[in-house]
Amino acid sequence: MVMMPPDPATHKVTPLGVVRRVSTSASQAADDARYWAEQMACVAARRDMDGFMRIYDHFGPRLQRYLLGLNVPAAQAEELVQEAMLRLWRRADLFDPARASLSTWLFRVARNLYIDSMRGEPRWLPIQEGLDWLDHEHAEEGGSSAESFTDHAGLSQAIDALPAAQARLIRMSYFEAKSHSEIAQELGMPLGSVKSTLRRAFAKLQLGLGRTP
Amino acid sequence: MKPHHHLDTATLIGYSAGALPTAFAVVVSAHLSICRTCREQLRDADLIGGQLMKQQEGAPLSASTRDSLLARLRATETAPARMPTTAHPAHDPDLLPAALHPYFGDRYSTLRWRMIGPGVHHIRAHDVADSHLMLLRTAPGRSVPMHSHGGNELTMILQGSYDDSLGHFAPGDVADLDVDVEHQPITAPGVPCICLAATDAPLRFSGWLARTLQPLFKL
Repeated sequence: MVMMPPDPATHKVTPLGVVRRVSTSASQAADDARYWAEQMACVAARRDMDGFMRIYDHFGPRLQRYLLGLNVPAAQAEELVQEAMLRLWRRADLFDPARASLSTWLFRVARNLYIDSMRGEPRWLPIQEGLDWLDHEHAEEGGSSAESFTDHAGLSQAIDALPAAQARLIRMSYFEAKSHSEIAQELGMPLGSVKSTLRRAFAKLQLGLGRTP
Repeated sequence: MKPHHHLDTATLIGYSAGALPTAFAVVVSAHLSICRTCREQLRDADLIGGQLMKQQEGAPLSASTRDSLLARLRATETAPARMPTTAHPAHDPDLLPAALHPYFGDRYSTLRWRMIGPGVHHIRAHDVADSHLMLLRTAPGRSVPMHSHGGNELTMILQGSYDDSLGHFAPGDVADLDVDVEHQPITAPGVPCICLAATDAPLRFSGWLARTLQPLFKL
């Protein structure tokens, strides 16, 4: 009755599950995004628990790392990882790989749960859900610029190519959830320079995504 | 409502990263609810966050978490997702943006304004710990007392409009200003201008009020 979860160390279906510390090839990043979109499609279509746990084995530890970086205590972070994964399970039918990659989707849910539980902002989750729906409908009208797997390839290359100072500020923003003022204080930089550096970095990453300025 | 003045990308990165002080996040949510351009920018910021998260080396999760997740999956009912009521607010001109309801209530008509100077009223949100959020109503044809003096400020126009050296700001527009931008908005004639403002520098009220009133009395 119980399907045995695949051993994360030996199962063969995640050829791209290895950690990439150095720059990745473009096709690899695209294949990676496509692979996880396919896994998710199986989960949506068949409630495939094995596929779902493969997603957990790959992304769960990464979400945990992300939340620990935001200073969430380990036990609470594991709770939030579980909660994020449960939301993915419940909302599998809503997941549309043309709109968001699995990593983006999970990042957003984990961030929203973090804000909801750690910052205690009232009604943060329903407000975010409302915003999501605005674009969900928009996408169904066919007016949205669909995210393609090749986007990820370009983005991953653009991240690797960021100058050190820009990469540092992007990381401090995303992984330590530091406000611009806090970053400015910590690095002894004027607030205006923090913002303009982030702006330049964002423009480069958007170019990597194929957006025209 | 199609805004002409948008959020700074640095602000959107902060929002995507969960790094904005609460008052600023509230203003951003309110603007996002009416601005597709900024929502698309935010999507890119979230994509970047997702990619960075994915590239990181994972941190170990306990075996019990995995087991308990499996148990919860089996116990979870799945039903087709439904659109939440917040997605489609009624087109009622008296309704405040949904993001403001926890702080100011639902309706303009029930706001309890406090006068802080001739032609100027405000309401402060009290449940914001790390920053300052307020509504500010300025009579037509007056200067808007809206300066955090040295900190960040983010303003969204809700009703009425104003003009300053940066242009004309109408409902839905945001003024996402760098610290060093000097501006002196003057409200347009006709209707009062209602703004939502987030600041991070603590406003010393008496000093701020004094600075506010000075130019107003000269009008």
